[in-house]
Amino acid sequence: MLMAELIEIRDVKKIYHVGTEDVHALDGITLTMRKNEYLAIMGPSGSGKSTLMNLIGCLDTPTSGSYRFNEKEVRDLSDDELARIRNKEIGFVFQTFNLLPRADAAHNVELPLIYAGIPRAERRRKVEQALEAVGLADRARHRPSELSGGQRQRAAIARALVNEPSVILADEPTGNLDTKTGEEIMQVFEKIHDAGNTIILVTHEEYIARHSGRIIRLRDGLVESDTKV
Amino acid sequence: MQVSESLRIAVANLRAHKVRSLLTVLGTVIGVMSVITIVSIIEGMNSYVSERLLEEGSNTFYVDKFGLITDYEQYLDAMNRKDLTIDDARALERNATAIEVVGSISQSRSDVRYRSREVSNVDVMGVDEGYQPARGIEVEYGRFVSREDVVRRRAVCVLGADVKDKLFAGLDPMGKEVRVGRHTFRVIGVAEKKGSLLGMSQDSNVMMPLTAFHKAFGSRSPVSLVAKARDQESLELAQDEARSILRARRKVPFSKPDDFGIMSAETFMEIYKNFTSTAYLVTVGIAGLSLLVGGIVIMNIMIVSVTERTKEIGIRKAVGARRADIMFQFLIESLILSGSGGLIGVLVGVGIALLISNVTPLPAAIKGWAIIMGLLVACGVGGFFGIYPAARAAKMDPIVALRYE
Repeated sequence: MLMAELIEIRDVKKIYHVGTEDVHALDGITLTMRKNEYLAIMGPSGSGKSTLMNLIGCLDTPTSGSYRFNEKEVRDLSDDELARIRNKEIGFVFQTFNLLPRADAAHNVELPLIYAGIPRAERRRKVEQALEAVGLADRARHRPSELSGGQRQRAAIARALVNEPSVILADEPTGNLDTKTGEEIMQVFEKIHDAGNTIILVTHEEYIARHSGRIIRLRDGLVESDTKV
Repeated sequence: MQVSESLRIAVANLRAHKVRSLLTVLGTVIGVMSVITIVSIIEGMNSYVSERLLEEGSNTFYVDKFGLITDYEQYLDAMNRKDLTIDDARALERNATAIEVVGSISQSRSDVRYRSREVSNVDVMGVDEGYQPARGIEVEYGRFVSREDVVRRRAVCVLGADVKDKLFAGLDPMGKEVRVGRHTFRVIGVAEKKGSLLGMSQDSNVMMPLTAFHKAFGSRSPVSLVAKARDQESLELAQDEARSILRARRKVPFSKPDDFGIMSAETFMEIYKNFTSTAYLVTVGIAGLSLLVGGIVIMNIMIVSVTERTKEIGIRKAVGARRADIMFQFLIESLILSGSGGLIGVLVGVGIALLISNVTPLPAAIKGWAIIMGLLVACGVGGFFGIYPAARAAKMDPIVALRYE
């Protein structure tokens, strides 16, 4: 039986208007991805990595072409429906962590559950599980400023995981960490992948990309290569 | 999103910026405060005044040759009118079916002395025998001015409680001779204490027969009449009767207006209400202005807050906050901001009202409706002026917001 594609991108273009010029950030990308894949997207800056990431993450919509997420055409979705997909189907991990500075780790992890309208008791249970999964259960009541870089990124990963999304999107997750801590974070991703999660990783470090199962290289808004590791 | 989460965020943010929040809501505080204070005092005076007027007797009315005078021209005009007399009083008693009794009174001010003691600036009232029942004055001891006293122009007087206390201290004043101005009067009674009205004593007076008063102080001081209707229902009829009887006695032509004025407690109440409604309007105007300015300040600070928290908005949108969630969050925040300003305003306003009623003779009545209205208006201001900043936050592009540093 053919497994359903989780992500199906067909000839997607994204054109930004900068002054009088049109910038083709994505110039006709075609790409599919299945459940439980571990994919790394690589490319020099300006290659369209971030734009592709934003599109896949439903933070943005394509100018033309088709992007089907879980067999739903994203271009047809309203703002609120996009928000719902980001909430339920996608977990973001950012280079700069993007945690709320005045909230403790547990509350940061709880955020997606709050917007999903999940009752308090269940939220508490899920937050505990997610923090446990990234090894941060003992730092739950600490604010980001009281956590190390690695711990912050673990909190962010827990936040991405907590609502059991279809895909986790990590944009340079080790970019702000030293090599050793970065390696630890990659171990966490590995563990999550083994637990059955789908991961898309954006990086320009070859050794980080090696952790994945498939590497896509972008150049000038086009797929340059698509190789299995 | 749950309301509790919005409240939690809002309170946490306001607490993180205590001084800024306080300064932001100052306009709202001042607006609500002034409304509460002034409403409390006006309402306090309203109930006080209407209570006292009722006490005065809601079935009495006053007649004099002036009526309600609003300018000097009218005053000069009225000065030329014929004086009212004791005979008018008797005629009203005789001919008006709805009138029970009529008193006459003429007033002046003078010093009152007994031996070496002196009370200055006392209300000296020349009255007839009808004045006591018409005004409902009780005599503490001795007796009131009688018809005999008036007819025989006896040099006797009834002391107000304050005057008696000051002149005689613990002594028995009965039969003693006091000097009122340059004239000597024998004390025949002491009136019961009436207390003070808006800080002014009602017991600093001396009452004497009207005839004796005119002899001593000159007959130029005009006489007014105090009439008591049989009961409250016949008050209007009594006034109508008094009007037609007086017009006949004073030979006012059919087409001319009254050359005298009739005033009841209601008339005074109306004048008073007119005055307070103006005060109300002024207050509402001032409060409205400060609330408007306060609202604009809130809007301004909320825009600043939204800009400062662009990143936070981006994060929240990335993890699935919908426009409505963000909108709601910032609206709740400005509501809480202005609502707490309203609350502070209510507390300060009530405090000031209580303070004023304690240290001045002005009474204060704290009204529940004023407090509720103050809070509602404050929240309304926050809600209204919070819409624009909240909408700005809600329609932010998550990508741009996330990139914001």
